[in-house]
Amino acid sequence: MNGLTEGQKRKALEVFENFSDSKLLTHLNSCVHCGLCAESCMYYQVYKDAHYVPAKKVDLVSSIYRRYNTLSGKLVPWLTGARDLDAKTLEEMIDLFYGSCTICGRCTMHCSIGVDIGYLVRTGRAILASMGFVPATLQSTVDAAINTGNNMAISEQDFIDTLKWLEEDLQFEVNDDKAEIPLNVPGKDIMYTLNPREPKFFPLSIAAMAKIFYAAGESWTLSTRMYDVTNYGYFSGNIQEATSIARRLYDEMDHLQARRCVLAECGHGTRAFRWEAPNYLGRSFPFDVITSVELLAEYIRQGRIKVDPAKIPEKVTLHDPCNLVRSGGVIEMQRYILRKCVSDFVEMTPHGTDNFCCGGGGGQLAMSEYNERRMKITGLKAEQIKNTGATIVCTPCHNCVDQLIQTNAAYKLGVKIMTLAEIVADALIINNETLKP
Amino acid sequence: MTEMAWYQWMALAALGFCLGTCLFHFFRLIKLGKPVDYSNPAGSIAQGVKYAFTGAMDPRRKESAWLHLPTYTAGLFYHSGTFLSILLFFFIVSGNVPQGWFAMVTSTILFISVFSGIFILVKRIFKKELRSLSNPDDYISNTLVTLFQLMTLLIILLPLLPSYSLTVLPSYRPIVLPSYYLIFTLLMLYLPLGKLRHVVYFFAARYHLGNFYGRRGVWPQRGIKAEDR
Repeated sequence: MNGLTEGQKRKALEVFENFSDSKLLTHLNSCVHCGLCAESCMYYQVYKDAHYVPAKKVDLVSSIYRRYNTLSGKLVPWLTGARDLDAKTLEEMIDLFYGSCTICGRCTMHCSIGVDIGYLVRTGRAILASMGFVPATLQSTVDAAINTGNNMAISEQDFIDTLKWLEEDLQFEVNDDKAEIPLNVPGKDIMYTLNPREPKFFPLSIAAMAKIFYAAGESWTLSTRMYDVTNYGYFSGNIQEATSIARRLYDEMDHLQARRCVLAECGHGTRAFRWEAPNYLGRSFPFDVITSVELLAEYIRQGRIKVDPAKIPEKVTLHDPCNLVRSGGVIEMQRYILRKCVSDFVEMTPHGTDNFCCGGGGGQLAMSEYNERRMKITGLKAEQIKNTGATIVCTPCHNCVDQLIQTNAAYKLGVKIMTLAEIVADALIINNETLKP
Repeated sequence: MTEMAWYQWMALAALGFCLGTCLFHFFRLIKLGKPVDYSNPAGSIAQGVKYAFTGAMDPRRKESAWLHLPTYTAGLFYHSGTFLSILLFFFIVSGNVPQGWFAMVTSTILFISVFSGIFILVKRIFKKELRSLSNPDDYISNTLVTLFQLMTLLIILLPLLPSYSLTVLPSYRPIVLPSYYLIFTLLMLYLPLGKLRHVVYFFAARYHLGNFYGRRGVWPQRGIKAEDR
C-alpha cells in the first residue's frame, strides 16, 4: 500500500475534478452524519460495529473530496474530517467499498437526507479501480469476461455441446423432434442472454426457459458468441471495462438484428445492461431491453402459456434481488407470476424494496477474500427464510441462487432454491395441441 | 425602526455572505444540470421527484425514521426551530420582537427545538456509532444552531417575564442582544463551510433520488392490479 504514486493519486482525484452533472457533487455534500442509516445495512445489523454504518462509506469518499476540493478541507482539514489519500485511507477504502458492501442500496432508500450511498460506494470503487486496486479475484472475473466473452471462460464449443444435449432433452420432454434451442439465428423477435453460471453449473435453468419459449411459440435465439448477461466491470468500478463488456452484447444484438434483448434472471446484469449500458455507450438502444421476469409475466397475462398452480403445492417464498427490485423497478411482476404458478406463496419480512440482500451482491460472490464476512451476513437472510416456513425459495437472479445455495447449506435451512423460470416451467401445462402443432 | 447598532450591521453582512455563498452552491448545481440518461425510462421522473419529497419522507415508509422515532421527531422540531429562528431574526432586527400570543407560540416551539438540539448533541457525544462518525464540524454545527435558537428564545422570552422588563432588562440587554447577533453572525459565517450547507444540498439530493427511482419505476411504488392477484 505504501507504493501509492503521484500518478495514481492524480488519476484518483480526477473523479472529483470534472463533474458531468450535479449528482456526484450533491451526494458528496449532503450527508449530515446522523447515523440513522445504520440499521438499514446488513453488515451493521450482523456485526453491530460502527465501522459498518453506511454513513462511514459516504464519509470516506466525501472526506477525500473535501480534502482536495474545498476551502475548509484545504486550510483546516481536521475541522470537517477531510482526509489525505494515503496508504491508511486506501486500506480502509478497499475494506469498506469492496469488502463491506453489496451495493444493495437499502441504505440509500432509507437515508434521512436522500444520499445515494450505493452510488458513492461505486464512486469509491471507481477511485480504487483507477489506481489499480480492484481485488484480484474480482478482477480475474472481469478479465475472463473480456478475454473469453463470458465470466466463466466457457469455450464456445463447450457451450454449444451443452446446448445440444439440452435441446435433445427438450425434444424428449415435450415429445417433439422439432423443438429446438436456436443458435445465432438472425432476425428473431428475441435474443435471449444467459448468466454463464447456467451453462456451467445450472443448465436446467436454460432447459426451463427453452421449454417456456417452446410453449409460447416464441421466435427466439441464443448467441454462442456473446450471451453473457453479467457485467462485473460494473462491480469493479472500472467503467472502461464495463463499457467494453456492455458493447459486446450491444454489438451482438446489432449483429443478430433481434427486436428485443431479453435478459436472463440476473439482478446486476439487468442493471448493467438495461440501465447503465446506454450511458456507458452514450446512446439510446434501438431495441427493447426487458428482463425474463417481464417476459414471463407477459406470457401468462396474454395467455401465451398456461400454468397450473396445483403442480407446485409446496410453500414458496421469494427473495428479491436488489438490482432488479430496488434499482430496477421490477417489483410486482415476479409476485404476479408466483401467484399464478404456485399454490402457497408467502412473502418474507421485510420484502420488496425493503428486502435484505442475499449477501452475495456487489461482486461479493467473486471476492473470496471476504467469504467469511459474506457467509456471516447471509445469516440475516437465512433467518428471513426460516421465518416464512417455506420449503422453496424462488429468486429471479442466478447470483442470488448461488449465494442462497451456500446459505442453505451453511445454515441448514433444508429448502430448495429455484429460479422463476424453473418455477414457471414446472407449473407449465403443455397439452397435446402444443406438443404436436 | 431605530438606528441599528454595529452588531446588527455585522449580522446583516454575515447573512449576506451566507446567502451569497449558498446561492453560489445552488447555481453551481443548476449549471452542472441533471444527469443525462440514455436508458429508456420505465416510470415518471416527475412522479418520482414528487414522491421523494412526500411519500418517501413518511416515517411509516422510512425505516430510519420509524426505528428512531425520538430522534426523527427531535430532528423535525430542531429544523422547524432553525427556520423559525431565521424568520424571527428579521422581526428582531427590525425591532419587532414578537409579543403576545405570537411570542407564546414561537417561544414554545423554540423551547422544544432547543431541547431537541441538546438531545441530538448529547446523543452524538454519548452514542459510540455517532461519535465514531463525527468530526469537529458536527459538534460545532449542532452547538451553533442550538445556541442561535436559544438566544432567539431568550430575546422573545425575557420581555415576557414580569421582573425582566422592570428591573432585569436594563442590566441584561447590553449582554443578550449583542450575544444574539454575535451567535447569528458566527452561524452565518460558518454555515457554508461545514455540513450546514446541506440546507442547499438536501433539496438537490431528494431531487436526484426521485429522478433515479422515478425513472426506473421504483417510486412511487405501484401496487399490483387486483385482477392479477
